[in-house]
Amino acid sequence: MNATQQSSVVARNSLALSLAVFLAAALLLPWVGAGPISVVRVLRHQSPDYEILLQLRLSRTLLALVAGGALSLAGTLFQAMLRDALATPYTLGISAGASLGAVAVIAMGGETFLGIPMTWVGALAGAFGVLILVVGGAFRQRQISAFSLLLTGIAINSICAAFIIILSSFAGMSRSFSIARWLIGSIDATSYVSLAVLAIIVLLVSAMILSQARSWNLLAVGERWAASRGVRVGALLAQGYLLGSILVAGAIALTGPIGFVGLIVPHLVRSRISPDHRLLMPCAFLLGGALLALCDAIGRIVMPPAELPAGAVLALIGGPYLVWIIRQRTPEEEI
Amino acid sequence: MSCLLAVDGVSFSYGGRSVLDSVSFRAEEGEFLALLGINGSGKSTLLDVISGFRRPGAGSVIISSRAQADWKRREMAQQVSHLPQSIHADLPFTAEQLVAMGRYPHTDRWFESEEDHQHIRAAMERTSCWSQRHRSFASLSGGERQRVLVAACLAQNATAHLLDEPSTFLDIEQQLHCFSVLREEARAGKLCIAATHDLNLAVTYCTRLLILANGVVAHDILTAEAHHNTEWLRLFSKRLEMGITPSGSPWVWYK
Repeated sequence: MNATQQSSVVARNSLALSLAVFLAAALLLPWVGAGPISVVRVLRHQSPDYEILLQLRLSRTLLALVAGGALSLAGTLFQAMLRDALATPYTLGISAGASLGAVAVIAMGGETFLGIPMTWVGALAGAFGVLILVVGGAFRQRQISAFSLLLTGIAINSICAAFIIILSSFAGMSRSFSIARWLIGSIDATSYVSLAVLAIIVLLVSAMILSQARSWNLLAVGERWAASRGVRVGALLAQGYLLGSILVAGAIALTGPIGFVGLIVPHLVRSRISPDHRLLMPCAFLLGGALLALCDAIGRIVMPPAELPAGAVLALIGGPYLVWIIRQRTPEEEI
Repeated sequence: MSCLLAVDGVSFSYGGRSVLDSVSFRAEEGEFLALLGINGSGKSTLLDVISGFRRPGAGSVIISSRAQADWKRREMAQQVSHLPQSIHADLPFTAEQLVAMGRYPHTDRWFESEEDHQHIRAAMERTSCWSQRHRSFASLSGGERQRVLVAACLAQNATAHLLDEPSTFLDIEQQLHCFSVLREEARAGKLCIAATHDLNLAVTYCTRLLILANGVVAHDILTAEAHHNTEWLRLFSKRLEMGITPSGSPWVWYK
């Protein structure tokens, strides 16, 4: 078997596996929850099983799949742009901006407006505020580099964190609790309309990111490495920043900041499947979605009737797992 | 007369410190230039300016009759490849994946074609790293990494190769091998410019020596004539002498 066929077989197998995991999560996880659901009653459209499955659990699972995929892909993207394996969707400040926006809305007591949750509006506004600041700051001196993006992101993270603390200390007890809860990140049942809007945005933006996979490979090695092989580095960084920000803002507006999925899944796929972004990116999207949906399902069943937020489950499972992966690294993988 | 590379009055300074002060030279296909000079003489900076990574403060770089700044990045990459002095060692990619990236400017295909794979394999075999193709770059030794990087340059199949200290980390056998591969490239009609500190490699394999000092091209001599006037050796050390080996090749030795 020659080299071309060999690499395409590996690619096909790992993609097929990831897709199978994603689909299995979509089909099986809605059935998991505090109360048992009877398949027969659902097929007969009987209450309340039919409504619980379709209105609550299915929409949650789909949200987790889309948001987890988006955050995981954004993490992969930012890690390539910054050449930093520890970059997450948090790193560039977008998620801090979105959090600040949502927290401001909760602190002011905003609920829903025309059926749209106001935290969503706040998160999007916050994310775009940051986007404008960064575009004005890092992009102003036409020399845009990964380093300037990273520094700007760190600065924005601290500023937003400070404002979030101020807002939550002035908010009353119960609102302060809602703020803390939002900041952990959780998956809740969503209307199918907002889910569809999110899914369309995420799919379009992800396709645009994926279409540049070969360029992300080069950028992950180095800016000069990429430039001397024909990549327009400045334009590519700007494009990656914009597209990644849309993914992050859209996802965490609905789920709260669950950045960890964007660290752990790319890391896992990179070391177990391939560092090649043509495979890494689609696999990270599919597996990231499946992982977040799984964490949400686990959160539903560990201590009913209370629910553990998916963000907390992810941190509890993912944290130790990440440490374990790092300990597994053979000496030859060390620097 | 048109030529492959024309550097005209190029100046460059880092902040207030001037490194290049009106550097001019021309180079043709088939030449193998050694870019020589002491530390800080501007060898790397000059290669960066030619590659387009740095804009010169004054002067122009013309590649195949077109100003460097007017080239599209991708077309430029088909003309000029650049071997960096150093690269992140902590990369997850395998040796073969890195070399394959040299094919980027040549194709829009999602995965490399059979032709791309032939280029990749040929490049890796020439720098004797094909057997290490599945190993991760991070796990290779310094010399093995350097061979992979040279292979990545060859796979790019550009008309001109700019190499910033290509023999770093290589053992003597591999240094000789690396420079003879570059010599072959030049014979096959490419232009190679290698910045190096190894004068003996330069006089053994290169066709021409370009010596930078005080921001200008202090000497521009054909290797065949290098031993007629050894004034250029003084720029490196007073202790250097040049002679002819029993086999008849020029040789630089210390007093």
